[in-house]
Amino acid sequence: MILQRLDTIRKIEVVIIVALAIVLLIVPHVAGTATVTMVSRIMIFAVFAMSYDILRGYVGVIHLGYALFIGGGAYFVGILFTQFGVGIPMLLLAVVGTSVYSAIWALIVGKISGKSGMIATAMITMAFAEIMRSLMTSWFTVTRGADGLPFRVPPPFNDRTMMFYASFIFMVIMAFLLYKFTKSPTGRVWQAVRENEQRAIFLGYNTNRARTIALLVASVVGGLSGVMFGLLNRFVNTDLLDMQMTINAMLYSLIGGTGTLFGAILGSALVVYFQNLLLDLRGVHFIFERWLLFIGALYIVVVMFMPRGIMGFYYDWKDKRAQKKRLLQEAKLPPQLNDEA
Amino acid sequence: MRNMKHESLFKLAVIFLGNIILRTEGLSIEFGALKAVNNVSLSIKADKFTAILGPNGAGKTTFFNLVSGLYKPSAGKVFFKDKDVTGYTPQQRIHAGMGRSFQLTNVFPALSAHENVRLSVQSAAKVKFTKLFKSYTRYTDIFEETDRILKRILLHDKADVRAGNLTHGEQRKLELGMVLAQKPEVLLLDEPTAGMSIEEVPIMIDLLKSIKDTGETTIVLIEHKMNMVKALSDVIVVLANGELLCEGDPETVSNDPAVMAAYLGGGVVHVAT
Repeated sequence: MILQRLDTIRKIEVVIIVALAIVLLIVPHVAGTATVTMVSRIMIFAVFAMSYDILRGYVGVIHLGYALFIGGGAYFVGILFTQFGVGIPMLLLAVVGTSVYSAIWALIVGKISGKSGMIATAMITMAFAEIMRSLMTSWFTVTRGADGLPFRVPPPFNDRTMMFYASFIFMVIMAFLLYKFTKSPTGRVWQAVRENEQRAIFLGYNTNRARTIALLVASVVGGLSGVMFGLLNRFVNTDLLDMQMTINAMLYSLIGGTGTLFGAILGSALVVYFQNLLLDLRGVHFIFERWLLFIGALYIVVVMFMPRGIMGFYYDWKDKRAQKKRLLQEAKLPPQLNDEA
Repeated sequence: MRNMKHESLFKLAVIFLGNIILRTEGLSIEFGALKAVNNVSLSIKADKFTAILGPNGAGKTTFFNLVSGLYKPSAGKVFFKDKDVTGYTPQQRIHAGMGRSFQLTNVFPALSAHENVRLSVQSAAKVKFTKLFKSYTRYTDIFEETDRILKRILLHDKADVRAGNLTHGEQRKLELGMVLAQKPEVLLLDEPTAGMSIEEVPIMIDLLKSIKDTGETTIVLIEHKMNMVKALSDVIVVLANGELLCEGDPETVSNDPAVMAAYLGGGVVHVAT
């Protein structure tokens, strides 16, 4: 199999990405509020799933407590707004607070994953999220437990269209940053750690440090997506800290393509859209009430026919085409040489 | 006091015996009741090609694992360039100048051959992890060095092939390239021809010879193939049952009665590796 050494992006791909971005920017002017909110949600979840992909797809850490970040960010916004008043300064405080909170979790998980294996890390992180969830449930006076915490958000985020643009800008910036990181020398080391950690150690890399940096990047971005989600939803409850949120992130990146980063955007768009569509079909037949059934079927189809996800499928196709081209060129060479002779 | 005396004695030895780059002192490790490496004291001279021989289960690879830091010894010390490196992590030893390859092919299978070597060059260039915003393609010196090494190990036309899709012999060459990229002062090679086909072995011998001739690094080799050992080595060390059996130039060693006994099965327990 031939790999694109410099991972060159083809012109047609740039055109498609720009076209998609333009379509996205038109959405709030042509679609109803429900669609605008749904697309905003897709974009925020896409960032959440992309940061998850840095861990699972690039550095190879299985983090089962990833809800810690989207839930934590949303709770920071909710608690600060209800306790200390709604305003931009409080929002900035929430951003700083979430970053620090996420970074602390990243350092803790980094220490643990350096000492114990992948499975132990997965189990311990799952426990962390559960601890956080029961803490938030018990802190009833502030968080109102499982009932949830509704709150108001400051302008311009209280406007659906502005929130849409904010989510769009957030997604573009985060996608760019994460892409940049994966193409940095450190990002290349992440892949080496995922592939064969022992070998990476014997190349002289401090793999624990590389992994901790990946955890820091992913956790902070995940936490910020929580802040954005809080602003969009204007409501936070303990469901956001549930295992289900981690599974969602995993599902989005799996369907889009693990280790492809942008696959997470596609995955989140597909799953969230599908979910909304199925819920709308409730009136047609009661079976659509059980929309998870269909998401499960979608997941099975993707894993069976595109085991590397949608983007992975596309990359494989691109590789195959490049290989075919090369073989054709090689086949053509001898006659040309003969002609010259 | 005793230690100081030891050191001055060692310095004297350096003057008389030549430059010793790697030295072990009573190196031992036990796995339960098995003494895999038992009290091995060995001095490896710079610019001499040393081969470590021994029947299966003699403790050759375990010895390498102790020297390279994969295992912690239960007793004994490792000195590299007269410095005690026993407490060093594998990464610290690599950056100090000790490179090693593995008996079982150990590459990054899903990454291209180019990327395998490039990662090794990048490590040697000590690019900081905090350089998150600079694209890896902008380190042109790393790319040039990578191309140079790929040419040297004769894999430059396979640069874009996934390492897992290379033939076994090519993977062994790739591994050698990855270790060379570290520019080590001492190179621990664990059976570089293990599992290679007969046609591929001479290429590896030529490659090792060319490295030896440049004098850029001191090679310590674990090998089973006698023709290879005889063609390359200046010094042969024989291990058996985890103990140092014999040490000397090829002629002396091959005539040593203890070595003959060990290879003919005299009291040697054969353990499958």
